[in-house]
Amino acid sequence: MAENIEESRKISLQKSAERLTEEIQSMANYKNLYTEIQKLVASTAVKREDFKNTLLEALKSNGLETEIRNTVFHWVRSQGSLSAVSEASTEEVDLTYLKKAQIQWERRIQKSLNSTCNELNVPLARIRPNADREELAEKWNELSTYDIDLSQYRPLYAPKDFLDVLFSIRNPSFKKQPNELNWEFGHIQIHVKTLTQLRHLYVDLTKGMSLLGVNPDMPSSENFTNLEEERIYISEKVLKSNHAPIAQEFLKRGAPRALRGRLWSLVLGSTDLEYYEELKNMVLQYDIVIDKLIIKDVQLTARNDDQYFVFEDVLYKTMLCFSRDSEVLAPVTTDRSAGGQVIHAVLQGKPATLENTLVFPPSGVIPFHGFTMYATPFCYLYDDPCAMYYTFRAFYLRYWFRLHTVSSHEQGIVALCLLFERLLQCHEPLLWIHCRNIHIQPVKIVFKWIMRGFSGHLPPEQLLYLWDLILGYDSLEIIPLLAVTILSFRKENLMQVNNQQSVEAVLADLSSLKVVPLLQLALLRE
Amino acid sequence: MSKVLNIYRVSASGTDKTKVTFCTDVDKSVIVHNFEKRGWVQVGPEDDWNFYWAVTQSCRNIFSVETGYRMDDKQLINHFPNHYELTRKDLLVKNIKRYRKELEREGNPLAERGDGPGKYLYLDFIPVTFVLPADYNMFVEEYRKSPQSTWIMKPCGKSQGAGIFLINKLSKLKKWSREAKNPFNPNLTKESYVISRYIDNPLLIGGKKFDLRLYVLITSFRPLKAYLFKLGFCRFCTVKYDTSIQELDNMYVHLTNVSVQKHGEEYNSKHGGKLSVHNLRLYLESTRGKAVTEKLFANITWCIIHSLKAVAPVMANDRHCFECYGYDIIIDNDLKPWLIEVNASPSLTSTTVNDRILKYKLIDNIISIVVPPDGIPDVKWNKCPPPEALGNFELLLDEELVAQEEKEYSSGKYRSSSSKWK
Repeated sequence: MAENIEESRKISLQKSAERLTEEIQSMANYKNLYTEIQKLVASTAVKREDFKNTLLEALKSNGLETEIRNTVFHWVRSQGSLSAVSEASTEEVDLTYLKKAQIQWERRIQKSLNSTCNELNVPLARIRPNADREELAEKWNELSTYDIDLSQYRPLYAPKDFLDVLFSIRNPSFKKQPNELNWEFGHIQIHVKTLTQLRHLYVDLTKGMSLLGVNPDMPSSENFTNLEEERIYISEKVLKSNHAPIAQEFLKRGAPRALRGRLWSLVLGSTDLEYYEELKNMVLQYDIVIDKLIIKDVQLTARNDDQYFVFEDVLYKTMLCFSRDSEVLAPVTTDRSAGGQVIHAVLQGKPATLENTLVFPPSGVIPFHGFTMYATPFCYLYDDPCAMYYTFRAFYLRYWFRLHTVSSHEQGIVALCLLFERLLQCHEPLLWIHCRNIHIQPVKIVFKWIMRGFSGHLPPEQLLYLWDLILGYDSLEIIPLLAVTILSFRKENLMQVNNQQSVEAVLADLSSLKVVPLLQLALLRE
Repeated sequence: MSKVLNIYRVSASGTDKTKVTFCTDVDKSVIVHNFEKRGWVQVGPEDDWNFYWAVTQSCRNIFSVETGYRMDDKQLINHFPNHYELTRKDLLVKNIKRYRKELEREGNPLAERGDGPGKYLYLDFIPVTFVLPADYNMFVEEYRKSPQSTWIMKPCGKSQGAGIFLINKLSKLKKWSREAKNPFNPNLTKESYVISRYIDNPLLIGGKKFDLRLYVLITSFRPLKAYLFKLGFCRFCTVKYDTSIQELDNMYVHLTNVSVQKHGEEYNSKHGGKLSVHNLRLYLESTRGKAVTEKLFANITWCIIHSLKAVAPVMANDRHCFECYGYDIIIDNDLKPWLIEVNASPSLTSTTVNDRILKYKLIDNIISIVVPPDGIPDVKWNKCPPPEALGNFELLLDEELVAQEEKEYSSGKYRSSSSKWK
């Protein structure tokens, strides 16, 4: 009997290893890794007579073993969805209506895109005319001076429109009173965590560990002058070890400013990719209507933002390259939560053959008002536009795309809104009732925060501490938790106002908030 | 108007003797609102005022011998009578040069020489500067040493970027002197200029040049008591930095003054080209590292303190006076700060919403520091505000406290070596 179990375990282990070997071969850094190993095998460090042992030893001593481990870590992350769906939640609940809603939503965006093109009489895509290409190439580092008339262009949709879509979702098996306002997401049967479960997840916050975001000057337990010195010392060791999972664990208690960029890159595996130039060439080669929408969005957001205006030029480049990045397409569209629809555009004036057809846009992501804000905070971390691009992209692929697609995923926007509602209802019942009484859906107040991951709403420093936690715990649940905490923190003022405008005024300025202490307060108290 | 003033006078000298009165000829809401918030009553300059927020000219009038105005112990005013020792471009240079020479004569290690003539290891915090026309020959001598460099000409008595231009050839200076109405005859020339080596390698962010505007409050020069406002900001040019000769005359590239930039096509009125010093620090620490960033900010403090020490001996240290200076500092690409100039009346105009909030806090914090805890101006007070009165200011230096601590330390009472230097 025992032997049988042993045997079957062996078999499954072998199967996993085979699958892993296969999958790794299609990963971006495989070629590089393979070359390095070949070089190593050819070196004197590996002996023919004791091949296996000397190879393993050599892999360990020159750091390639760590690289392989990190590759497996990133593979596992790309396979498993965020904080692996608990088995219970997938039981017998039919959530296909959410998928339908997403498909409908994607169609609507596409329709709106087409009508924009028709109205303005511009093609979806075309070969970029020479003069334009030259101008764009010349002004690539200074696109704020790329002078085109965008007065006719409008963002395709804003967070508010997306929220309306979410509100209109109907669970077909849920009988509603005919005159009842679609008040909340309570009828959507996605499993979300309770505060107790969140306390279990965010254990470092719950236990009152010393966190960098609370006070970097607090005394250190070791022989350091303060907590910040201690964290810097440890993070240097973490970076030296080059182990991605250790870096992730480290982020749970906050990254020191000077090393955050490198830590994030390590956790996300977003280093050493070289095809940024190719993306730029794609932008120069094709003129797609998305470009105008992107430029418009940077103008509407970062250009006017006193925290980010200095980065306007780098954001144009970043967002334009992103639109051409076909490596974004696969992960976003094949995710089982997305609608998975892809538009194809035929280049203007060309016959509709395969070589004249492109996926539109190549990234599959159609920007909306505020889309740029997913990228802006990275400007504070990296001077190199390429490093910035890849970390932003990795963050987007892991987290942000879930914030603008309808899905049943536990980390999707619907689940996050639901989590927000449950937490508010359970833990701030008075506020909940107050909202009911003044006829304001609570989600409405916080939706723009959630959809942007608070980018643009918190000062950069506080935002980066928040995003440390997203990466460290590999979960977006911290965002609705923070939203509830802020409402709770401003409860007294909120209780005194009774219309949307005044509610917004109470919550307009978040510049004085300290994110980590607030979150800790919410998780600590029992 | 006079009627209104009369009413105020009645209420000021009427039943409530403890009512604080203020007077201002700077018509800015951030000022008036701050006073009114404290329940102070506005009066005219001829009335009994306790607190006068004056333009520099009114202040000079009050202190001038002809006026014969005598202030009493319950009166404060927001300028030192000869603040120009610090704030006029030519005098600042003169005072700093003198300060360095004095330290050198004393054999003070701070005045250690660096590489090259005229260089100091620790006190090189202003660009090489000469006063024209007086120092013309010295300038030419310096110019010839490195004829490739660019120089910047500024009229001594003007502000907000007026009359400034760049030169990269001696012939251009000669041409300018011919065209200027008065030839280079010191007796005829009314307006003097300073010419400084142009910092042509400024630190750029997003390809754009910027400078820092920091607010420094002085409540006394002897002993020196100085505070730095933590909510300073960077002022960005709207156009990419470009050292090419064609752009030499484009002031949108070179000058960071808001008064210049706001006329540019690219000026954005939502943020006014202003980024907070907090965010600058976040960016620099993240991209350049903690140690170099800390050194930069320590050097900024250093150059503020030594500019103040340079003028302290010549300042009329009137007990009724305090002053908030606007320090303009440029950081170069090696993260070295350069003191460009000091303003006696930093702009209180609010260009954006954040600007208004910031300037409101600035005035509020200044009042809290210069007025004793009981809220009534009093020159006999020891000018040691409690920590909670500092608001967004931090203490840069209080020589009185340092001296006390040293005394206590040497007499063995006080073991901790904590200094008041920050």
